Amino acid sequence: MNKTQAIRTVIEATSDEPVIFTTGYSSRIARHVADRPNHFYMTGSMGLAASIGTGIALSSGRRTVVVDGDGALAMNPGCLLTAGTFADLPLFHLVLDDGLYESTGGQSVPSRRVSFSALAEASGYADVWQVDDLTKFQELLRSKLITCRTPTFVHCSLTEREGSGPPPRVEGELAWYQSRFAAHLATQR
Amino acid sequence: MAVLDCASTLSGALLERNFAPFFGTPCGILAPLYRRLEAAANLWTVSREDNAIGVAAGSAMAGHRPVVLMQNSGLGQSVNAIASLVVPYQIPMLMIISMRGVAPDSTTENIVMGRLTEPLLAEAGIPTATLDEDNLPAQADWAATEVIGGRRAAALLVPPNLFGWQA
Repeated sequence: MNKTQAIRTVIEATSDEPVIFTTGYSSRIARHVADRPNHFYMTGSMGLAASIGTGIALSSGRRTVVVDGDGALAMNPGCLLTAGTFADLPLFHLVLDDGLYESTGGQSVPSRRVSFSALAEASGYADVWQVDDLTKFQELLRSKLITCRTPTFVHCSLTEREGSGPPPRVEGELAWYQSRFAAHLATQR
Repeated sequence: MAVLDCASTLSGALLERNFAPFFGTPCGILAPLYRRLEAAANLWTVSREDNAIGVAAGSAMAGHRPVVLMQNSGLGQSVNAIASLVVPYQIPMLMIISMRGVAPDSTTENIVMGRLTEPLLAEAGIPTATLDEDNLPAQADWAATEVIGGRRAAALLVPPNLFGWQA
């Protein structure tokens, strides 16, 4: 599984639930695969995707998906404590782990000795899963996403390289994407 | 106005204007306000201020009118969250920021942030009002006009002694 395959799988498994994509290539890939109003592309504020997802899930009660990265989680592991404190939070927090800061030149993330899953569990996430295979990832999303009622963490090991270079940056007014996303959430209330 | 009344007045004024929920990190200056909000509304303590900004951003996009309470030291932690998320995405929220490092707080470790706070917010394009005990309801009106009416972020700055804090 590579990052594009993982993101495509998330988009196929979701329809109108809010999905937050982290900074770097994840937002760019997601927008390129399908640009939908339930997507929030977090182009800056590295490390805050799960906190934004926490605020949405807490305030709307809606199942909220976060597509995070290993570099972003290493930058702000405190987001796990923030989400883990809410036992009934319907937050589905995916971390796509390629071990690299890919969009800044492919430097290694200093997390080789870190278990993100153990961190999530220790922070209060009730359901913690690890996958390294596309078929298992698809099955996990099918079975666990729809029933998510508590902070859920999925560590996805990306073992394959991307087939092509990254899609273009998220262009245009970021505020426009924000208001489209907020309007989408308003129609769901 | 007695100092404890200031915390009650501000808490009541914010709730009357439908601000909620509240996210923040505890602060000695804000403690009386924190207690009142905890008793009267949804107030959640978040372990770091930039995460509180992130959670508030999500809450705002979900249609709420969130408030973040923090000390200005936490504003330092939150600069990137404000600069790359709140401002460019135009996410409305109210920040209530206590002012360590300005008179009568002379603690050395807070002086630099005390000096940076207002210019930093001004350069970020976030309007501010410094709370004054005689104008609290009017200043809550101002905050509501900016955040709820204007759909933008704004900040209320809290002088160290407004709620009775002493160095």
